[in-house]
Amino acid sequence: MSSEREPSMKVYVGLWVVMILIVALEILVTYRHMPTDLFVGLILILAFLEAGIGVMYFMHMKFESPNLFWTLVPITIFVLVMLDQIWPDALRLARMNLFR
Amino acid sequence: MSESGAGAHAVIMEASPFGLQSKKLVIWLFIASDAITFGALLFGYSYLRLGSLDWSYPFEGSSILNGFIMTVILLTSSLTMLAAVMAAKRDNKGQCLRWIGFTILLGTIFAVLHLREWFHMFGEGWALYKNPLGGSPIFAAGFFGITGLHLLHVISGVIALSILAIRYNNGALDKTYVETTGLYWHFVDLVWMFVFPIVYLMNAAVR
Amino acid sequence: MHDAQPAVHHHTAPEGFIRKYVFSVDHKVIGLQYYGLALVAVFVGMVLSWLMRLHLGWATLAIPGLHLLSSAGAPGNVMTPEYYLSLMTMHGTIMVFFVLTNAPLAGFGNYFLPIQVGAADMAFPRMNMMSFWVTFTAFIVLMLSFFVGDGPPLSGWTAYATLSSVGGASGPGEATGQTFWAISIALFCIGQLLGSLNFISTTLDLRTKGMTLARLPLSTWAWFVTSCIGLLAFADLLPACILLILDRSFGTSFFNPAGMVLNGEVAKYSGGSPLLWQHLFWFFGHPEVYIAIIPAFGIVSHILAASARKPLLGGTRVLIGCMIALAFLSYVVWGHHMFLSGLNPFSAILFSVPTLIITIPATIAVLMWIGTVYGARLRFNTACLFCLGFISVFVSGGISGFFLAQPSIDIYLHATYFVVAHFHFVMAVAAIFGIFAGTYFWMPKMIGRMMNETLGKWHFWLTFVGVYCIFMPMHYLGLAGNVRRYAAFTDNFLVPLIPVHKFITIAALFTGAAQFIFLFNLFYTRFWGPKAPDNPWEATSLEWSTTSPPPFDNFGGRQMVVNHGAYEYGVEGPKDYIMQTDPVKVAGD
Repeated sequence: MSSEREPSMKVYVGLWVVMILIVALEILVTYRHMPTDLFVGLILILAFLEAGIGVMYFMHMKFESPNLFWTLVPITIFVLVMLDQIWPDALRLARMNLFR
Repeated sequence: MSESGAGAHAVIMEASPFGLQSKKLVIWLFIASDAITFGALLFGYSYLRLGSLDWSYPFEGSSILNGFIMTVILLTSSLTMLAAVMAAKRDNKGQCLRWIGFTILLGTIFAVLHLREWFHMFGEGWALYKNPLGGSPIFAAGFFGITGLHLLHVISGVIALSILAIRYNNGALDKTYVETTGLYWHFVDLVWMFVFPIVYLMNAAVR
Repeated sequence: MHDAQPAVHHHTAPEGFIRKYVFSVDHKVIGLQYYGLALVAVFVGMVLSWLMRLHLGWATLAIPGLHLLSSAGAPGNVMTPEYYLSLMTMHGTIMVFFVLTNAPLAGFGNYFLPIQVGAADMAFPRMNMMSFWVTFTAFIVLMLSFFVGDGPPLSGWTAYATLSSVGGASGPGEATGQTFWAISIALFCIGQLLGSLNFISTTLDLRTKGMTLARLPLSTWAWFVTSCIGLLAFADLLPACILLILDRSFGTSFFNPAGMVLNGEVAKYSGGSPLLWQHLFWFFGHPEVYIAIIPAFGIVSHILAASARKPLLGGTRVLIGCMIALAFLSYVVWGHHMFLSGLNPFSAILFSVPTLIITIPATIAVLMWIGTVYGARLRFNTACLFCLGFISVFVSGGISGFFLAQPSIDIYLHATYFVVAHFHFVMAVAAIFGIFAGTYFWMPKMIGRMMNETLGKWHFWLTFVGVYCIFMPMHYLGLAGNVRRYAAFTDNFLVPLIPVHKFITIAALFTGAAQFIFLFNLFYTRFWGPKAPDNPWEATSLEWSTTSPPPFDNFGGRQMVVNHGAYEYGVEGPKDYIMQTDPVKVAGD
């Protein structure tokens, strides 16, 4: 069922090269001088891109039933995004100076 | 409608909404759950780092290069695992086992390089609770904690692949197990794609 | 080979005592094992609550034999304040984890989910067996803290840092007891994870012919939704416990800030945050309370339809929608446990609004149940009474939640008995009523004998009146400023409240005694109860299409074919119900 649409090994090797290039790009970004916010944002975007290639192709999610993608991925991202609500408190600690 | 052929009588069941075998579904669910576990750890680490006034940036060029090499090795092991899964799908057992062997080798090299880095750091005075640069000890705790949990996953993955290779060889496990173990191995690589930037790159000496 | 073939394990019936009753892969045995574990846990937890209540009513009371449990904690049989906190910690931990997460989900779910979907067993029977034994080990580790080391921890079931994260310096029970606690809970997380994997894959993959997702009974939907929540929630508690162990035993400072003075010395910790523990814990903790209550939603819905002889108002879809909405929203509201923790006030609003919104699906569910019962000729068996009792206590507890959801009011009510009343009503009483309802309904199926209805009704009425006597006055206490987690009340504004505490204690002891009626009923039924027919309640779902108790492979090798939804009650004809397997055609199937 799913094996008919599976890409050849060449495609995967190409994607492997792309992923290594993304890591190299991340390192390049690290060594360039830029504001921290921009740096963190770029790094995370690159990391998610890499992860996306990994999940969709290497882990075959692209070739599975769309139900699987739309159930697992949004829910996991939703749960992780919910944890985002903790950031205001992290900064509070630094600014309050009560804890070091 | 799907049929199960196992056993003396076939049982007719409703089709799964995902079109997957149960064990593959279960690995995906486990991956989602483990992603939350690592996510919670990375969030906690970043939370403390954000609130810290004396963070350390100890990773010189050599550490970053080492990390890059480790990343490439893990990515390559994912590729070899993929080759193993494709070989298993074509029922080419010999090739599959060879590729699993490469994956195990690369995974082991990763673990060795990682432990080498750890011991180098121990030698410089780092410990789970100690930061020899005088900065926040959370740096050390977070670094060793997160990379340690990841290393645990790598080592258990190597063990699982070894067991898989033996039992696939003697016919106790069929090719579907190659795929499910492969999914776990890819997940281990996936986690490293986030650990490397957050724990290494963001703490490069140049920042 | 068809790619979508689920893994079905056909195993023959086991031989020998160990394979049949101890290390069994049969989901029915595992379900009963979980239920049995929960039964032991609830009695331990209840005894702990009696000890606590006795001390609260009579602070200088010497309780005979207490010094045998702990000579340091109860010299001369009088509880020290620290030991009170230890007992309270264990009471909370045991009840929330080993009773409320075990019995309705792992106990009934393991027994009935495969049967209700029409399967011969769970998708992964051996993993199922492993999940029980991991949970059992977690319980033993927790119980060990009573007898080994410096006693049980005293930081509450919430184990807030830094009380819990600095080791023995913070009090008795914090040296080894807290470590046992953390290990026990970490093991529990793993057991729950394994269980969730099984529940989800069985519900999705092993449904028999004709059992579409829409035709699943609400109890199955509840177990399925709960397992989805649990999969992702317990995944967050596990790293929290690991970090706690690292802080306690390996000198890290994840939760410990700099500048703490312990035993007169400045501690070497630096850089940590106690708030991080609270975030990580409650991010798990709020979904956890929904894990405790949603199975009861499913069980109550399932039983009410059978008792009212009417399909549920709104059909199954509305209630399924409510459960899914609760599941999603449960991840957005955890900060309402932290309004007074030093949380960013802006975040407080972000948490308060969804908390008020989360009352909407809960209220819709209650209205659906009330609407189902309205105008129905109810069969007032004990299971039905407990369902009606569930609605009553759930509403009572839910109303106090409205007040607590608002940060401005919570500033006053946080950590008072008002909160204690709220969570006991919605969790301790409501979820337990769900467990009782399930027991009276399903015990005939599980052990093949009918429970005594007279004893059941006595049990219900005494418990129902009893819990209101125990927990209603606590609202008044909270409003009067009675702080929780105090071992004794010596402040001049608290002393006048002690008579109320004495009343509550007496009510608690009476209600506890009433539970022995239930226990007696269980044991009497097991050995001398009248034999149960296949379908004593004239109910429709698949568990009633097989014998009581079911055979080893649930249906005796028959292929079950489902033709209807699970709540075809109130139909015209000689029988007022249509079983799910009935081949008769009905409009709207």
